[in-house]
Amino acid sequence: MNPLNIILILIGAAFLIVILDPIFRRARLIEFGGVIASLAFTATLIILAIEAAAGATARTVIFGPDSPLTASLKLDALSIYLSMIFSGLGLMASIYSIRYMLFDVEHLPLDDLLWTRRRELGFDRYYALLLTLVAGMIGVTMANDFFTLYVFWELMAISSYSLVAFRKWSWEAVEAGFKYLVMSTLGSLAALLGIALLYGLAGSLRFDAVRAAVFGGNIAATFSLAMIVIGFGVTAAIVPFHSWLPDAHSAAPTPIVVLSGVVIKTGVYAILWSMFRVFGPATYGFGPILIGLGILTMSFANIAALMQTDIKRFLAYSSIANIGYIVMGLGLAAHILKAHPSEIGPAALALAGVLLHVLNHALGKGLSFLSAGCYIIRTGSREIGSLEGVGPRMPITTASLGVGLLNLAGVPPLSGFWSKLLIISAGLGVPSDNLMLAATIIFILNSILAAGGYLWLLQRLAFKRPGSSGAYGEIKEAPPLMLAPLIILAAACIMVTLMLNPILQFIQNILEVIM
Amino acid sequence: MSLHEIYFAGSLLLIVAGLYAIASKRHLVKIVIGLEVVTLGVNLAIASMGVRIVDGALVMDALAQSMIAISIAVAAAITALALSIALNIYRHYGTFDIRKLRRLRW
Repeated sequence: MNPLNIILILIGAAFLIVILDPIFRRARLIEFGGVIASLAFTATLIILAIEAAAGATARTVIFGPDSPLTASLKLDALSIYLSMIFSGLGLMASIYSIRYMLFDVEHLPLDDLLWTRRRELGFDRYYALLLTLVAGMIGVTMANDFFTLYVFWELMAISSYSLVAFRKWSWEAVEAGFKYLVMSTLGSLAALLGIALLYGLAGSLRFDAVRAAVFGGNIAATFSLAMIVIGFGVTAAIVPFHSWLPDAHSAAPTPIVVLSGVVIKTGVYAILWSMFRVFGPATYGFGPILIGLGILTMSFANIAALMQTDIKRFLAYSSIANIGYIVMGLGLAAHILKAHPSEIGPAALALAGVLLHVLNHALGKGLSFLSAGCYIIRTGSREIGSLEGVGPRMPITTASLGVGLLNLAGVPPLSGFWSKLLIISAGLGVPSDNLMLAATIIFILNSILAAGGYLWLLQRLAFKRPGSSGAYGEIKEAPPLMLAPLIILAAACIMVTLMLNPILQFIQNILEVIM
Repeated sequence: MSLHEIYFAGSLLLIVAGLYAIASKRHLVKIVIGLEVVTLGVNLAIASMGVRIVDGALVMDALAQSMIAISIAVAAAITALALSIALNIYRHYGTFDIRKLRRLRW
């Protein structure tokens, strides 16, 4: 199928929701937006699954005459893999939003089955923005030239700014939204400046044309690479540029936070693609810089996470730490390809670990954020201290949170362990290299520290006796429509573990695209 | 200096001016104006990369023109959004002064 159609389904559904909203509101069916959004995400997911099953052969679609100036889209194994993660989490978020947003926005009672208010809630815009956000992310992974990538990037960015500031009646949301907007727009502009320089060098923005133009390596290309990495690194929340993320994650509605966890993956994709596919690690020796950034990111975020008292901020810092693991994996692969060109095996291991970790982190973090949202609306508090011991009251939520946190912690049978093991074994793959050895040791220490943090959180929520702040006498399990995405995501975590072989085979296809 | 270099130097000047405004100004609307100035600088950088002199006349590549047009549209959307968020901040705090909204630790 034409890759454009996948994006058009989502954008069409967004328009449909906004246009049909007055009719449905008159009919007092205010959940319809969520239903249409879920259907659109399901359709996208099915199309992508069919493409993946058909072998995911790489192809490009050019709009207009085939000159180096026209826009074009591509569809390969990497874009299918990431798009499936994005639209799958989008589906979970939109199912979860149907009930959550009504409570969050209007404080309507949760267990009432039929909502019969006829008020202006802005839900049509909410679901439309959710759809354009995912459409933008999928478009970024399918772009075949830098300018198409930038356009879809801005589609994603503008949708996510408005969604972070969606709860505009709270000071926290507007303030975090403004901060996110200023930082991320500056990042996008830095990337656009880098893209402009590449255009000056190559005369075209197609990835293969740029690749041919920057092949030898020169100062201008190095500068534009730095601008692109800084620009996309703001969205990927690499540490010097991370400070928007905890605020935005704790201020945004919880279902959006799930997507924010994949928005940062879009930044990682843009860095990965421009470094490995366009610039080439063998010419530009950016491996040690990426390893350093990764170590800085994970160490800072893991220590900062332990000091948080707010459960959403804790999970947000843990997202930054996981970006650190991913960036360090990329750095290891780039370093091996530059310094030890004969050792192609460890580089492939590192990239496979990175790609598997992107999937694991998306599932695990989505699961823990959605569970945290269930606690938050039931207890009305985000403080970990006042959520202590709430676990036994909400057994299904706590069980899902447990699966998610154990997956993030990398407890052995779950797939979070295997992705970290792949990165570690890549780091030990060239024993003579001291830099890689040191980086791997820091990685292992960080993983242990992070695992301790996750297990501590789980212990406090699930097993500790309730503190003096409250006995949770009246707290019930979350409503079924909110539990459904939790159960699906927990099942998906376990399914990924069981189906590790086919997934690794698919990742092998992706590696053929990247390397 | 060639035409490209003059344009590119101008664009760098605009970018620096915009960054200075964002970093030093304390008024939300002025920060938004600073963002807009940086955007203009980047647009000028694209123009400086796309401009050619053919037979004594200035021409610009089609790709550079379409990039600038789309970039202007994107910047308009971002400015509108930023101003609406600034308005909501004003409704909460009664001021556009960024020093008054330190609750999130800039």
